Amino acid sequence: MTDATNPSAARGLPADPAPPADPVTALAARKLAERFPGAVVEQALSGRHPYLRIAGDRIVQVCTFLRDDPDLAMDCLHLVSGVDWPAKTPAEGPGSIDVVYHLVSYATRPDPAYRKAALKNDGFVVLKVRVPRDDPEVPSVMGVWVGADWHERETYDLLGVRFTGRPPLRRILLPEDWPGFPLRKDWDYPVEYHGIPIIPPEGR
Amino acid sequence: MSDAAPAARPAVVPPVTPGGMAAPGGMVAPATAPILEAADLERLVGQSLRTEELVINMGPQHPSTHGVLRVVIKTDGEVVTALQPHVGNLHRCAEKIGESLPYYQWLPYVDRMDYLAAINNEHGACIAIERLGGIEVPERAEYVRVILAEVQRIISHLMAVGVYGLDVGAITPFLHTFRERERGLDLLDHIAGGRLLYHVIRLGGVKRDLTPDWIDECHAFLEQIERRLPEYNALMLDNHIFQERTCRIGVIDRATAIAWGVTGPALRAAGVDWDCRRDAPYSIYDRFPFDVPVGVPGALPGVPGDCWRRHWVRVREIEQSVRIVRHALRELPPGSVQGKVPKTFKPPKGEVYLRVENPRGELAYYVVSEGADRPWRMRVRGPSFSNIAVITQVGVGTLIADLVALMGSLDIVLGEVDR
Repeated sequence: MTDATNPSAARGLPADPAPPADPVTALAARKLAERFPGAVVEQALSGRHPYLRIAGDRIVQVCTFLRDDPDLAMDCLHLVSGVDWPAKTPAEGPGSIDVVYHLVSYATRPDPAYRKAALKNDGFVVLKVRVPRDDPEVPSVMGVWVGADWHERETYDLLGVRFTGRPPLRRILLPEDWPGFPLRKDWDYPVEYHGIPIIPPEGR
Repeated sequence: MSDAAPAARPAVVPPVTPGGMAAPGGMVAPATAPILEAADLERLVGQSLRTEELVINMGPQHPSTHGVLRVVIKTDGEVVTALQPHVGNLHRCAEKIGESLPYYQWLPYVDRMDYLAAINNEHGACIAIERLGGIEVPERAEYVRVILAEVQRIISHLMAVGVYGLDVGAITPFLHTFRERERGLDLLDHIAGGRLLYHVIRLGGVKRDLTPDWIDECHAFLEQIERRLPEYNALMLDNHIFQERTCRIGVIDRATAIAWGVTGPALRAAGVDWDCRRDAPYSIYDRFPFDVPVGVPGALPGVPGDCWRRHWVRVREIEQSVRIVRHALRELPPGSVQGKVPKTFKPPKGEVYLRVENPRGELAYYVVSEGADRPWRMRVRGPSFSNIAVITQVGVGTLIADLVALMGSLDIVLGEVDR
């Protein structure tokens, strides 16, 4: 696997894994497996949108490591999003919400081989945390990237995910007294808001 | 340059209150020693000159907030001691609507997020959805898309450059850039039938093809831009008053910019050599040579990451966009501009994350498909959302007038912050 003549391998990237995995995600997965065993609970290294699923209580550790590791240097949190996955049948329980973190690096990369390899997935490392739908709580990563602040507030605003260990969450886009979390799949359109009638779109 | 009296920076009052008016991070420094030390002053006048903090609302209808942004500022005299932006006034549920509509029906809504760069928004959305569904785009359509996107970038930057003059107290550049901007809007009007919102880039191609007349008109537009740019520079970048107003003001350094997720011209002005079009190419941007202006320390006035550099990056990007459009027009291949798209478009189960370089920064789409005709989740990263958040840190310690200069130089569009 280690090939000194291969610049990717010299920088700690897998030389030519098969099936073709995303090099940056694969490197992150390998380093995380060494450093934090058990933190990565599921991984998809190949495909269009490779990702690592992280145990919720380890997310701050993992993010701090990915930011500080010199090879990965994920110095920017590009986006925090939430995806609602309600249970299809009552037997499955309450369902879950995925909190998705897209990390990217702007650190200077003089090595064109790394650049080329990294950009196969645009250089992103995607982390997912699955939280139960009836008690969605995940530690905040605001201490790792201060820019997470507004993204977390938006995820709370629209999906109701509570981020802990940060300044109090307030709604950011919607009014403070808006009922519910609209991007939840079972959210019902209110009949009216302060006397303004709300007409839900057709075909819902 | 102008007959008006020089708009000097507000005089910095020497500290008069004990503990107040701390010189903020080297932003303002009195040119001369204070006439009276604070202790002397207090001894002389006792408590009678004590000041108190004042909380003021800037916006949501304040002209310098570029839309409906409300910023609550706590001030001590002229100095901002804390500030909190309140966004959401223009929230139109773009993501919720995205989940409720078939993919192609959502595209007009994309225009309305960043309404000053509608084509760039459409470009990103179409590429993301096409990647998800495996739609092929004809060669000519790719070229037309790049041409339209770069013309849109020129128009958007003209707006930013001109309006920034207005923010810092110069009305003339605004009128000059809007003269050229109108020609650019006409150009897009002639191909898309709309002035600001076009819906011209469709899944699998573009709505209308470029005609020879349009191409001639476009060349004339580019020539006019090139002829006028030195004029803008004389009015703004090289103008001593403008430099005094913007150099070393509102400095967003490299580490701050990256940690807050600031992208686009503001990131490049901070000295990060990164442009998605060159470094993570989408569409066919890898075929066009162009330079990425970066505000490295050096011969330019000011310091990396200040308001002047952000303005400079935009002006230089106009030049580079002119270059890209010329190149694309020269190489424009023949053929169709619309690929095959199934009548009922149902992309397979999967996810895609795509970022494109908008005039304001990196716009990204995160699309989750469950195999239906409408997406399961449609998430948009608006660059202005992250770019405006940074003022909560950088704005502290500046003068109120400099806060206006800082917010203007970030060139935010509230339609995109609130989506």
